[in-house]
Amino acid sequence: MTLIRRTFIGLALAAPVLFVASADAADAIRLGYQLPLTGNTAQYGQDFKTAAEIALDRFNASGRLPVKVEIVYEDSRSDAKEGVAIARKFVDDEKIVGVLGDFTSGVSIAAAQVYKEAGMPQLSQTASHPDFTKISEWQFRNITTQAGEGPYNANWILSKGYKKVAVIAEQTDWGQSVVQYFAAELAAKGGTVVFTEFFNRGLPDFRALITKIQRDKPDAIYTGFFYEDGANFLKQAKQLGVTTPIFSTSAAHNQKIVELAGADAEGLSLTTNFLPNSPRPEVKNFVDAWVKARGAEPGQFPAQAFDAVNIMLDAVVKTYPKTTRASVREALAATKDFPGVTGLTTFDANREPQKQLSKARVIGGQFTAVSE
Amino acid sequence: MSEIRRLIRPVPILLALVIFVAVPLGLAQFGKGYFFQIANLVLIFALLAASLHLVAGVAGLLHLGHAAFYGIGAYVAALLGTELKLGFLWGLPAGGLAAAVLALIVALPTMRLVSIYFAVATLAIGQMIHTVLLNWVSLTKGPNGVLLFSGIKLFGWAAKTPVAIYFVVAVVVAASIFAIHRLGHSYYGNALRSLREDDQCADAMGIDTVRLKIEVFTLSAFFAGIAGALWAYTTGYVSPTDFNFSNSILVLAMVVVGGLGSLPGAIIGAFLLILLPEVLRGFGDVRNVLVGLVMFFSILFLPKGLFGEVSALTFVRRHFGRSQNRVPGGEVGW
Repeated sequence: MTLIRRTFIGLALAAPVLFVASADAADAIRLGYQLPLTGNTAQYGQDFKTAAEIALDRFNASGRLPVKVEIVYEDSRSDAKEGVAIARKFVDDEKIVGVLGDFTSGVSIAAAQVYKEAGMPQLSQTASHPDFTKISEWQFRNITTQAGEGPYNANWILSKGYKKVAVIAEQTDWGQSVVQYFAAELAAKGGTVVFTEFFNRGLPDFRALITKIQRDKPDAIYTGFFYEDGANFLKQAKQLGVTTPIFSTSAAHNQKIVELAGADAEGLSLTTNFLPNSPRPEVKNFVDAWVKARGAEPGQFPAQAFDAVNIMLDAVVKTYPKTTRASVREALAATKDFPGVTGLTTFDANREPQKQLSKARVIGGQFTAVSE
Repeated sequence: MSEIRRLIRPVPILLALVIFVAVPLGLAQFGKGYFFQIANLVLIFALLAASLHLVAGVAGLLHLGHAAFYGIGAYVAALLGTELKLGFLWGLPAGGLAAAVLALIVALPTMRLVSIYFAVATLAIGQMIHTVLLNWVSLTKGPNGVLLFSGIKLFGWAAKTPVAIYFVVAVVVAASIFAIHRLGHSYYGNALRSLREDDQCADAMGIDTVRLKIEVFTLSAFFAGIAGALWAYTTGYVSPTDFNFSNSILVLAMVVVGGLGSLPGAIIGAFLLILLPEVLRGFGDVRNVLVGLVMFFSILFLPKGLFGEVSALTFVRRHFGRSQNRVPGGEVGW
């Protein structure tokens, strides 16, 4: 019996109920942000949080609304279990009129089931799963999907005279879409995909894969990876003497790929809609604030998060003082030519962002805009 | 006296009252979907931990691939729902059976292994199943996962409100855990414990250890599959990452922290490791460290678990036991 009693005492001590209630102004408007602040993908979530803080500080300082807007951050660890629980939590909080996130498509979709049922606008900065925005009228995203980027890259590669392309991508929902949309356009325009393979994220050794690619002698290699895998791939490709031009998507656009791969990243071509060295004032402002907070230049994803938060805040302004979940959704759906750091953003009828893409290449350790 | 005690057992009645009356009433007071979500998650993981407890605790086999069978159940339920339009009533048993059949197939060649070799074999099984879920794109939709829109429908009645969904989950989990309780706290459970303590001795006593291992592995996978089907239907979306190695380890940690070989311990472990990260949200980024510390100290100070096997068996005997062989002063049998 003592053991049982000890157990219960232990449980009671171990689980102090700490629902920290924020004691801010009663009339503040609240947004939720679910993102991985810990776990395997924490680096992305932490970036989004910094971007959101920059956007929110600016917004509250600008006085565009007579009331303050606050963002509740909840850590999902990129785990669907936690993501769904957070979604319920956000839905229960009647002050929350809109939600940003999550990072991965999987968690975003699992949470979307809750938002769909409850009627909560959800805007993810990165969920690129083809079905995400098809779940309901409440789902939006601020990332160009591969449906736009794939054909754009296929045409770019063909315009350089490369006909035979090897395609590799990570084995995720996103990687699948990278291959699917690129290959369809390439084939339609007269090119051939000579090699396709998926690799599991975090693969340490790409050499077997690279050797197989070389066997098929492609004119170009098209890749769907993020910076960690990208840096490994680029380094090992150089070691094996690969000189074939390598193309990639905006997901690889991160200064860290250059830091990790060094000179081996030289010549990597990719699409992007955000270049930190752009002379546009809104980009300069954001980059300056980011460098002050983090000491390095922001990549593509923080820029998307920054714009997503601003688009959401803009929707709140448009609906004020009648800000409800439904009115915020209407305002989001009506977003047209929003001037963000990733260019002008318009949501189409399917709540997909229409953005301009541009071409960039790593030249001298910098992502540099190219026109070709 | 003992006749009355056998008929009216206060603890099981109290437990049933808590699960089916107090918790839903209490949670409904708040009117919040969040608490019901957490309650469902706790129940699903309580079932997972209880099912792993059969293999890892009672039979003493270190099983590192349990989440894969949970995944099979979830995928079978989700795919039956989306591809063949077979609802919850089909998906739930089919999820459990599919996991059990697969477990039986992989168990036949592997159950002759012992100790660390068994652990590595189950690790490999778990990884293989996870990799198949991830890479067999034409069937499982690969990393895209499966969206299940149909919701829980029982004989024309649709469980739509959080309370209704909670009740469905609670009934299934309670029935499953009751079955696990009867399996583990019986002469069958004693046979499993004997092969944990000394399998050669058990063999010599006439217990078919290999057959017993295959059976318990299959049964455990069946209940994991049931938990998976519940997860698929309460979340509406399954993807391979929900069933990876770290989830196997999470369930194993629940069993160990609660107490190896102790069914109430496994359930308490699931409560603790699901509730704690949620309760600690206020601490921000360090909450996972705190969860780790709680686990660390509970193992350090209570190495037999929060509710160790011996006290759990006494507790179960006293409050749930069949006690048909009870003699004055002795507590033999069930």
